[in-house]
Amino acid sequence: MIFFEISKRNIRLNWLRSFLAAAGIVIGVIAISSMGILGSSLTLSVTDSLSTVGDSVIVIPVVGQPGQNMVTTEALITERQLQQITRVVAPNDAVPIHAGADRIEIGPDKTVAAIYGIRPDQIPLMVDIADGIVPRSTSGALAGALLADEYDLKTGSRVRVGNETVRITGILEEQGMGFDINPDNALIVSDRWYATTYDQDDYDQVIVKVRDINDIDAVKLAIERALNRRDDVVTVYDTRMILEMIIETFNQISTFTTAIGGISLLVAGVSIFNVQMMSVTERIKEIGIIRSIGTKRSEVMKMFLYEAFILGVVGSGIGGILSFAGGYIAVSIMLQDTTYLFYPETLFYIPYGMVIGLIVTLLSGLYPAWKAANLNPIEALRFE
Amino acid sequence: MEEEVSTANGGAVCTGIPKDAVIRLEDATKVYSLPFGDVVALDRICLAVMPGEFIAIMGPSGSGKSTLLNLIGSLDVPTEGDLYIDGRDTRTLSDDELTELRRDRIGFIFQQFNLIPLLTVLENVEYPMILKSRQAVKGSSRARDLLLRVGLTEQMLAHKPKELSGGQQQRVAIARALINDPAILLCDEPTGNLDQATGKLIMDMLSEVNRRGKTIIMVTHDADVAAYAQRTITIVDGKVQ
Repeated sequence: MIFFEISKRNIRLNWLRSFLAAAGIVIGVIAISSMGILGSSLTLSVTDSLSTVGDSVIVIPVVGQPGQNMVTTEALITERQLQQITRVVAPNDAVPIHAGADRIEIGPDKTVAAIYGIRPDQIPLMVDIADGIVPRSTSGALAGALLADEYDLKTGSRVRVGNETVRITGILEEQGMGFDINPDNALIVSDRWYATTYDQDDYDQVIVKVRDINDIDAVKLAIERALNRRDDVVTVYDTRMILEMIIETFNQISTFTTAIGGISLLVAGVSIFNVQMMSVTERIKEIGIIRSIGTKRSEVMKMFLYEAFILGVVGSGIGGILSFAGGYIAVSIMLQDTTYLFYPETLFYIPYGMVIGLIVTLLSGLYPAWKAANLNPIEALRFE
Repeated sequence: MEEEVSTANGGAVCTGIPKDAVIRLEDATKVYSLPFGDVVALDRICLAVMPGEFIAIMGPSGSGKSTLLNLIGSLDVPTEGDLYIDGRDTRTLSDDELTELRRDRIGFIFQQFNLIPLLTVLENVEYPMILKSRQAVKGSSRARDLLLRVGLTEQMLAHKPKELSGGQQQRVAIARALINDPAILLCDEPTGNLDQATGKLIMDMLSEVNRRGKTIIMVTHDADVAAYAQRTITIVDGKVQ
């Protein structure tokens, strides 16, 4: 088509400013797509690293300010409350957990680790053991995978915890980040050892393992009704809800970073607008000529929109290709893992950025094209 | 066939306007509204141009010659009165219809040649044809033949207009004006930017085109150039003398 040819030649004639305008679009598309890729990879990575905990309900004591009708003194779940929970959630398992942290010594090494006290028969409900067995005696302990790896702990190793010594009876499988307990850098001891050592009979939290995921809401309700009848004594979360909240948060972060990328595309749009306005101003006489010899307004508009379209296609195309590299670099630096880059939901941000780039370019070219089409042909012909 | 036509504009009457004229101006008035007041560029013009006529329009600068040419070229419409081109009342036509009228029935030849700088010589001539046919006619033999007939060589066809001399550019403009076989050629000072010898060649060419049946309306300041026309109209202060 002749209009497309004229547009192409005008771009070629003014190649430097056309190149700079397209470069703006390239940068904008890279910014949008790379940020989108990074955000998506981050969300996928976090979602994946959270252990599969969609089946748990977490009960923690309410911590609040005095005078707000909240329990403030103990901030622990008592044995009586545990029994209430156990009763109302049956046949699901309620796992009471002591949680704390202490200084530990492994040979010459000293560090601080999380300590979880769990009833030995309930430990398999909470963690998987890679090597060894659940502690049978009170002085036995399981070591988290990362802790064991870092300090070369094996079954039979001895670890000094505070003033006591425990013997490692097993090493856990790596669990990833969890909402209930995070055992990878922790020691898991028996509830009795914990209660005796730290003189704490009450529990920091109770995890209810729900057998049928559809019962989660009913279980939560039952606990709330049993314990929070008069005052809010406990807060009840389900891990599915937390997971959704976290994913939602990361999605918001992803949208936010993509929007920041969008600002650069907006700047590029202004540059396209500027270039197109310059093109119209420089070609007023030419517009007068083509209008006088029979070119319709719509055809003049088409000619200028083609110009914006070419800049948009070239800019978005190059931007799309480079944004893969940009996303790769961003993900490599931020996550040190590019696995999630190749997921469809991550790669989606490349065509997404390209389409946005093209739309911004066309929108930026719309007014100049309209202005060109509506020039008075007589005045345009007189223009020098 | 001549028939008296009367118009209802202010009671004025244009007499003796033949209905079969290719161009009919009946009491045509053009007023420009400017910040300092209205300017009457053309004042109740009555004019008929018969098919195949060659008319020169003369007059001092600012007399309304160009405004008249713009009206006849359907680049503008009268503020009052009527203008018929090929029997069509231009005041009733939409912008697209006026554009089609220019494209299909009128050829323009300008003093400044006004070729499209981004297109080659051949493409410049093909351009109106493409507009009309709505399809690519690259390297069309009609455009090529016309260009060779107006005196360009095969080698010049791929050149850009600025690479040609003024005379050569005006020949390209003539070829472009003729490509859609229009009924009317409008020439605005066609020799104004050319030397005398080249101007004569161009005028000879236009005379030849007129002999072949095209109606030509030409604005000029030059009495020698006007001498090529069969009839000369003089405009002073927006009125035909």
